[in-house]
Parts: sequence; C-alpha cells; structure tokens
Amino acid sequence: MREVFLVEAKRTPQVKSGMDLKDIEAPYLGAYLLRHILDAHTLSNDHIDEVIFGNIGTPAKYPNLGRVIALEAGLHKKTSAYTVNRNCASGMEALSQAYLKIATGRGDLIFAGGVESMSLLPLIFGRKMTDLFVTLMKAKSFPAKLKALSAFRPPHLAPVVAIKQGLTDPICGLDMGQTAELLSRELNITRLDQDQFANESHKKTVASQARGAFDDEIVPIIVGEKLDKMLTKDIGPRSNSSVEGLAKMRPFFDRKSGTVTIGNSCPVTDGGSAILLASKEAVKKYNLEPMAKMVDYHFHGLEPQRMGMGPLLAIDGVLKRTKLKLSDMDLVEINEAFAAQVLAVQKGLKDQDVAKKFGVDTVWGEVPESKLNVNGGGIALGHPVGSTGSRLVVTLAHELKRRKAKYGLASLCIGGGQGGAVIIENLQK
Amino acid sequence: MTYKKISYEIKDNVAYIGLGHNDHKAMIVIDEDLLVDLEKAVGELSKDIAKLKGMILFSHNPNVFAAGADINIISSFKDENEAAAGAAKGQAVFNLIEDLKIHTVACVDGVCLGGGLELALVCDTILVSDNPKTSLGLPEVQLGLIPGFGGTYRLPKKLGLPTSLDLILSGKKLNAKRAKKYGIASEVYPSERLLDMATKHLSDRPKKSTLKKSLTGFASSNFITKKIFFQKAREAVLKKTMGLYQAPLKIINVLEEGDFDNRKNYLNSEASAFGELCMSEQSRNLRHLFFLMEGAKKFDGDKGSSDTAKNFKRGAALGAGTMGGGITWLMADNAMMPIMKDLEQSALELGLKQSSAIFSGAKKRKKIDKATFIRKQRSITPQLSYSGFKNVDLIIEAVVENIDIKKKVFAELEEQISDNCIVASNTSALSINEMASTFKKSNRFAGLHFFNPVNRMPLVEIITHDRVAPETVYALYQWCLKVKKTPIVVKDAPGFLVNRILVPYISEAFYLAQEGVPIIDIERACLNFGMPMGPFRLSDEVGLDVGIKIGKILQEGLGERFVLPQFTYKLVGDGFLGKKNNRGLYTYSSDGKEDGLNEAIDKYLTTNKVKMDEIEIQMRVFLPMINEAASILEEGIVKTPGEVDLGLIFGIGFPPFRGGILRYADSEGLDRILGAIERFSKDVSNTRYAPSAYLKKLVEEKRTFY
Repeated sequence: MREVFLVEAKRTPQVKSGMDLKDIEAPYLGAYLLRHILDAHTLSNDHIDEVIFGNIGTPAKYPNLGRVIALEAGLHKKTSAYTVNRNCASGMEALSQAYLKIATGRGDLIFAGGVESMSLLPLIFGRKMTDLFVTLMKAKSFPAKLKALSAFRPPHLAPVVAIKQGLTDPICGLDMGQTAELLSRELNITRLDQDQFANESHKKTVASQARGAFDDEIVPIIVGEKLDKMLTKDIGPRSNSSVEGLAKMRPFFDRKSGTVTIGNSCPVTDGGSAILLASKEAVKKYNLEPMAKMVDYHFHGLEPQRMGMGPLLAIDGVLKRTKLKLSDMDLVEINEAFAAQVLAVQKGLKDQDVAKKFGVDTVWGEVPESKLNVNGGGIALGHPVGSTGSRLVVTLAHELKRRKAKYGLASLCIGGGQGGAVIIENLQK
Repeated sequence: MTYKKISYEIKDNVAYIGLGHNDHKAMIVIDEDLLVDLEKAVGELSKDIAKLKGMILFSHNPNVFAAGADINIISSFKDENEAAAGAAKGQAVFNLIEDLKIHTVACVDGVCLGGGLELALVCDTILVSDNPKTSLGLPEVQLGLIPGFGGTYRLPKKLGLPTSLDLILSGKKLNAKRAKKYGIASEVYPSERLLDMATKHLSDRPKKSTLKKSLTGFASSNFITKKIFFQKAREAVLKKTMGLYQAPLKIINVLEEGDFDNRKNYLNSEASAFGELCMSEQSRNLRHLFFLMEGAKKFDGDKGSSDTAKNFKRGAALGAGTMGGGITWLMADNAMMPIMKDLEQSALELGLKQSSAIFSGAKKRKKIDKATFIRKQRSITPQLSYSGFKNVDLIIEAVVENIDIKKKVFAELEEQISDNCIVASNTSALSINEMASTFKKSNRFAGLHFFNPVNRMPLVEIITHDRVAPETVYALYQWCLKVKKTPIVVKDAPGFLVNRILVPYISEAFYLAQEGVPIIDIERACLNFGMPMGPFRLSDEVGLDVGIKIGKILQEGLGERFVLPQFTYKLVGDGFLGKKNNRGLYTYSSDGKEDGLNEAIDKYLTTNKVKMDEIEIQMRVFLPMINEAASILEEGIVKTPGEVDLGLIFGIGFPPFRGGILRYADSEGLDRILGAIERFSKDVSNTRYAPSAYLKKLVEEKRTFY
C-alpha cells in the first residue's frame, strides 16, 4: 500500500438551513472549493484523476453530483467523477475511497468531499398522487383522462417531506432523535448533561470564531439573491447560549418524557467540504506541500436504533487496525449529531460494561475534554449530512497543524446504524 | 449547362439548387454570377416541371446560407437609376423562383441575412437548422438601406405588417428557434437532417390562418387602423433616432404606400427607394463604417514569432471597482473563470455587484437564463490574496488611477505570476511606458483601455510601448475580438486616442458655458448633431473629477491647449462629481435616473446669457476634435484615419451615420474646416484653435484624410 497525503482541506461556511446558503444548489457548495484548491497549489485542471463526492439528498436534477461538481469547477472533461452515499458519513466514505484508490495505485490526485443543501431538499408528491399522474399520462382519450382525473381527492396533495422521511430509520421506524432518546434512557444520560454539553459546543465554537480558528479552512462563498455578497463565517453558533436557556426548551422527539431537544441536537444545515489527496509521486511531481497523511479508516455497523453509538465501534476498529492507542491521539473529533449520543460514546470508551454491551472488548479510556471537539462541533456548527464526514477531517487537519500535533481522529455516527472513523497524521510541524 | 456559383441536379424527381458550389469564400454573397446561375437553373427546371415534385434550395457551406448582397457591388452603383435597376434585376430572378408551379423549400443552415433571407422568402417553405450560426434577418437598415430584393413585400405577406415592420426597422437577427416562433421558418431540424427532412415538406400546404392572424390582417388592411399604425411607427422611429436617420422613415413610407395586391408595382417602389437610399450620404457613411469594422477584424500588425495568437484560458482582474467589476464580468461571460482581487471584502462585493448587475440585465432581456447567470457569476473567484495567479494567463489591472500605486502593484504582481502570463493595464490616461519600466519582463505588458460601461462600449484601445513584444499585442488583439470587442492599437501618448480627442470637445463645451451660452443649448446642438448624449451629461457619466485628472495629464504632456476652464475646477472642489454622487451638471434621482439640469450650477456661470447659433456651437465643439485628430495622425499615434473614426464611434458614440469624425471632415471640405479653425483662432483662443500642421498640409496639397 502506498502512502496517502492530504494536500489541502477546505470547506464552505456552514449555515443553518433556510438562511444565507438556502438557494445555493448542491454543486455550487463544492465546485468553487475545488477551483480554490487547484489555484492555491498551481495545479492545472487536467492534473486530477478523479472526483468523489458524498451527498445524501441527491437533487433530481443532478443524479451524479460529483461529475457536476468536477465540471463546474472547470476540471478537464476526462476527469472521472462520481457520487457516494453512506448517509451521514458520505463525505468520509468519499475520503476513504480516495484513500484506497491512491494507496493501491489506481490514482495519484483525487478530490474527495461532500456537499449537502438541506434547505433544498424537496417536498414530494405522495404515492396516490403519483399513481394518479401515471394513469393520467397513460390515458389516451379525453373520457379516459377525465376518468383518471375524477379519482383525485384533495388529501392526495399532502406532500411527503423528504427530509423528515430521510431522518427516519426504515428498519426500526425510529427517527434519529428517538435513537438518541433511546441511548439517553439506557445509559442514563441526563437532560442537564446534554444541555451542558450543547452549551460548551456553542461556547467553544464562538471562541474559535473570535480567534479566527476557522479562517484557514473556510473559503468565502458568494451569496445573496443577486450573488454579490461574500459569506466568510459560519452562521449558527450562538454567543448568547446558556444552560438555563437550553433547559427551557421542550423535548422534541419524545414530547412527554424525553430529554433530547432541538437545542441539544445539531441543526439542519447547508454546507460543503473538499479535500485533495495525493500519492507520494504526485506530491513530488507537482511540488506539493501536504498538510497531513491519511493513516487509515474504519466503518462498522450496529443496530439501527442505537446508531448514535456507531463511533465507539468505528474508533475501536480503526485503532485496532492501525495498532494505535486512543491516548496517541492529540485531537479527537466526534460529530455532535446529538449531545446524548456523544456522551454515550464517551461512556462506551471508558466503561467496560457499556463497551461489552456493544461488542467492544477493549476499554480505550475517555477522551479528555482538552482533546475532544476543541472548536465545538455539530451542535453549534450544524451537520450538513453529506459533508460532515469530510468536514470533520478538514477542521481536524487545520487544528493539528495549528497545534503542531501529530495524530488526529475523526469519527461520526451514521443513520441506519453504523459508525465511521478516520485517523490522520499532521505533517506541518 | 454549366454553373459558376451553384450546383443543380435532379434526384428522385426533386430539383436541388445548392448555393456556394465551387465557392471557397467564407461568406456566400448574392452577386451578378449567382443571379445569372439562378436564372439559368430556373430555366432548366421549367423544362422538367411536369415530372418534378418540388425544388429544394440549400447551401453547400455549413455555416452560411447566404449573407446578403455583395456590399462592394452596392457601393459601385453610380446613380439612383443604376442602383434601382440592380435591385430590379435581383427581384426579377427571385420572382421567377416564386412563380414556379412546384412546391419550393429553402433549407437554411447558417447565416441567412439581407438578400439571403429575401431569397429564402421566395420559397413556399423555409426550414432552419439548429446550428448556432443560423441567423435570419433583414439588417439593411443598419447600412442606411431598404431591403431591395422584395423583402419588404414578402416578409409582411408572411408575418403580417406589425411583426415584419419591427424586424425590418430594427434589423434584428433571429436564431433558429425564434425564426420559427416568429413564423418565418416552418420547422427547426438538426443540421445533418435538414435536407432529408426537406423532402417531407414538399407537400406542405399553406397553413390555415389563425383568428389572431386574420384579425391583425384585417387591422392592417383597414384604412383607418393602417393609418394609425404607421403613424405610431413613424413616431417611434422619430423618438428613437431623433429624426437623424433617413432609411427607417423611407422604409415606413414604402410599406405604407406600397400596393401589396400588385407585386410589380410594389417591387418597383421598393427598387426605387433602394436606389435613392443607396446613393444617400448616410448609407455611404454607414457602409464605410461596415468596412472599417470588417477591417478591424483582421490584425494587420507585426505578429512577431507567433503563428497563432496565444490563447488566454484563465483571467484575473486586479481591482474590483466599476471597471474591474466590468472586466471580471467580461471574463466570466467568456468562460475564463476569473479571479478578482482587491484589498477589502467590501471592494470585492462592489465588483461582484457590478458583474451581477450586467448579468441580471442580460437575464431580464432574456439573453441568458437563470442557470447561466448563476453558473457564470459563480465562476468568479473574489479574493484578497494572489492565490492562483500562477494559473492565470491574462491579468487586467484596474486599480486606482495613480501611477505610484500602479507601479507598486505591478512590482508585487510580477513575483506572483507565471512566465508566460500577459499583464495589461486598464488605465485611461497614465503613461504605459512608465508602468512598463517596473516590469522585469516588460515585453509581456501593454495597456488595454476599456470604456465604461464595459458591457456596452465595444471599443478597446490596446496601448503599446517601447519594449512590448509583438506577440503580446497580437494576443491581446485576438482576445478582444474573441470577447466581441473592437480593438485599436494605439501608441502610448497622453490620453491615447479617444480621450485625447474627447477632452477638447468637452472642454470647449464648458468654455462655451463659461462664455454664457446656456448649457441646454449646447447639449441640444450636440444631440442634434447626432451625439448619443450631450457633453455635460457625458461629463457627469465619466465623473468631473476624472475629467479634470485626464485634463491635467493632457495639459502636462501636450500643452496649454488642454487647459480646462476655471469653473470646472471650482465645481469639483465644491463636490460636483457627476452621476457617481448624484451631484453634477444634472441632478439624479436615487435610482440613478437623470432629473434635469442642476440649478446649483448657475451660480458658477455668468448671468449674461449669450444666444449662439446651433451650427456655430457645433463648429466650436467639433472643430477642436478634428484638429486634435489631425495631430494624432501626424504623430502616428494610430496608423489610419479609419482607426480614429472607429475609435470615436465605438468609444464615445460619435454618430455612425456620419461615418466618423474624419470622414465627416472630408465631406465638409478640409479647406472650410481649416478656415473656421483659423477664424476661431483669432476670435476665441489661439491656443485651443491653433491649426494642426498636418491639417494645413492636407489643405495645401488639396488632399483629404482618407
């Protein structure tokens, strides 16, 4: 296996859905990042072997988003490009595939990333209305058409909300928030724990914003109805967040006895991220200065109704594969889909009984606060589902660089009952 | 039977006439040979008429059906009768085709303009290809002419009066899709299928007329509605052209008085109108301009070692102001994925706004759709750093007009770019030679002076300097053509070409105002001469502060004749900057609309108003331009009088129907011009009206500019 380098890692500002990025179609959340990265390293548009992008809510207009991103970025027409979907880890899946391809010599320069416009997820006509359209189209004569139309009833117009359906597990029937409720009940994670965790996320992100910690990873994006404004910062982190304020919110997923609120979950968000990966040969040939090395990755499945625990299994897997210890990690990013779920993972890492329950035979130890999500996470920054898998690595790589640290681990839970984890090694000392 | 310009054959009982046979010219034009051939072919065809299913007229050249009558022939007619007879000859041949008793189909794949469309119109059915080059229209009016081969007879018959009059008066060109929508073409097919499909249209019958069509038909044949309709059309033309153009009015007359029930009579009136317009000064001037434009499409300078010009793939604009934003737009529109760099985010946003406004305008006019607007606007990379500049092969600088800042920027820039990157400055008056001196590789640098607004002004001055590489100039020239601009190569000298001629004009207008001539009279005199806006309105547009800056540079470089009247400095000192701060010679409403003359200006001017004859005003302002243009030719700033004329028409909107300022001077008589200048030199100012030595020499040798 060949070594795989992260040459550059960039992302869009992340913005709560329905705000500044709401009208930007998914390809445009990625294409400009690629162009920016090529420019920054004086690479030409025909140097790239492949583009792999993660996305979940595939817009009907762009069945293969990856290819659209490649072409909109101005990459050469010969560039192979495709789209991957591993639900919340799609961006990480893209990264992993790029890693494998370079490691096995199938490519030398590959863009991997993810994009998600959750604002533009559609409303869909229900089955009955769709059937009616089909009969109507098949009907040849006027009476037949009339007959088809006469079957119409107003409730047919009730739309299916794609985003709601997408966030509900088809196997266990729980929506994602309910899986977090389940973990909080079973592992006794209190409302206060969750609210405190959420509050910390906002505080850390706001502080990081203030000291410009994200400036190197964010590429300003053109926004506004007339496309004449530039957005340079994430919109979502709240400087006025407080535990008291969070405590006032009503549980959303189990309205009577639940603990998971909108406040201690990640908001629905728009955003994109892109990483350029390279082989050693490409690094030499194009005189590149890589930020980091990708060490390895691991994906692992578990029962869908406890999907929030996915990171525990993925971290366990990637550490075993790389023969590293959790304590070797200088920084750890665990995506904050729900405060309850990150707290559950922490329990699983340090508590043998919990670990065992999930089939993990090693107690890896708790991740100290000084290493975990040091710039905040999904609760403050949001979770553009197709992008987060690669976004975590973008933020991780930049923070490792800033700290001149060595190893970093990024992990996230995946709707449907999986976890994913990636380890990178910083080269910028 | 042999043919020079067409092919003729019968296949499966269908006669095929192919234009452009044996013709290796890029454009197929309708000339004597072609008409003779067509007449012969119709004769031959008539022999077989009984067994023929139809005739298909097509072109062998994939991008041209027929580009119209040969303009050189039009220019060779000696008098009205000869020109009218020329038109009648074409009409006669076209009539023969129209009178064929079989169904005829024209297959239009490419350019089909003027006489070309008139030829297609004689066929029963017109089919067009989806070739992006396909374009149909009657642009004769733009040459000061009326279509002379029956176009004004057959188009109204096909489309009805209102639509066809609009097409003929505007000279509008329609693409395939719109040609079908307008009803000129029956169907659009892919180029490759056009001829095959034509055989399926040989049995087409005329479509039943729709209710709307018969209603408009009724309205246009009804005596009263017809009268109102033409009156409205005439008013619209007068409003648009201020009555300065003859051809549109003549066209309206022909259509109004023409007898559509009698082809012979109608075509006679069309031919005689053609003859008349053909000989008019205006049409001659517009044709002169046409040839100047055609000439500008070919680079005739030194190409250096380059066989083909360097092709710019990626562009960047330095500075995101009005000009920088406009240049960024131009690059984005031409798929160059431009980088736009400035020092502040707020400045970048101004540049984005500039570009967005131009794209939005195009969207409003349905030139582009929303998706294209988004794609192109998003292809811009606004940034504060030099990231990516090594990927760029053309950089156009448009930072503040300050030589020291520019020099600093260039020194910094050259460290950031690749060896074969070409750099251009959009300065409007600063010395290109001086800027060049800051470059290590100065041969890659030249001036590239765009006019504001970039999207509307076609002219670009390419400013050379002592050390510029010919390859640089050639590449910039070809790029300008590619982005549909009209380039002129100008030597580096204060004010270059256009501003050096413009400043004396505006300056003299201000002197007149200072003398007490009412501003409104000066404006009107210039508008009546044909200028698109008066000199004061133009000053507001440019910005009075900018004007003063350029004036100073000219004065320092060229002498006292460029001293501006005192009160202009006072105006700028008191904050009258023009449209940019809604405070100039005019006032402006908040949305930038002009709101009449600014009364606050009155106190800067004498209360003793002078009544001056309009012609006298025109002489006062236009003669200094001619005088300066003569000096420019003498100094070799540009090579030909044609470049001066092209520059002023496309740079400041000098009236096209006058053919340019030097052509105008020639037509007025240089001795008279010189006489008037000498008179003003005595009566007004002997510095501003000091006659150019070159002008004197021309008069002495009884020569003209051209």
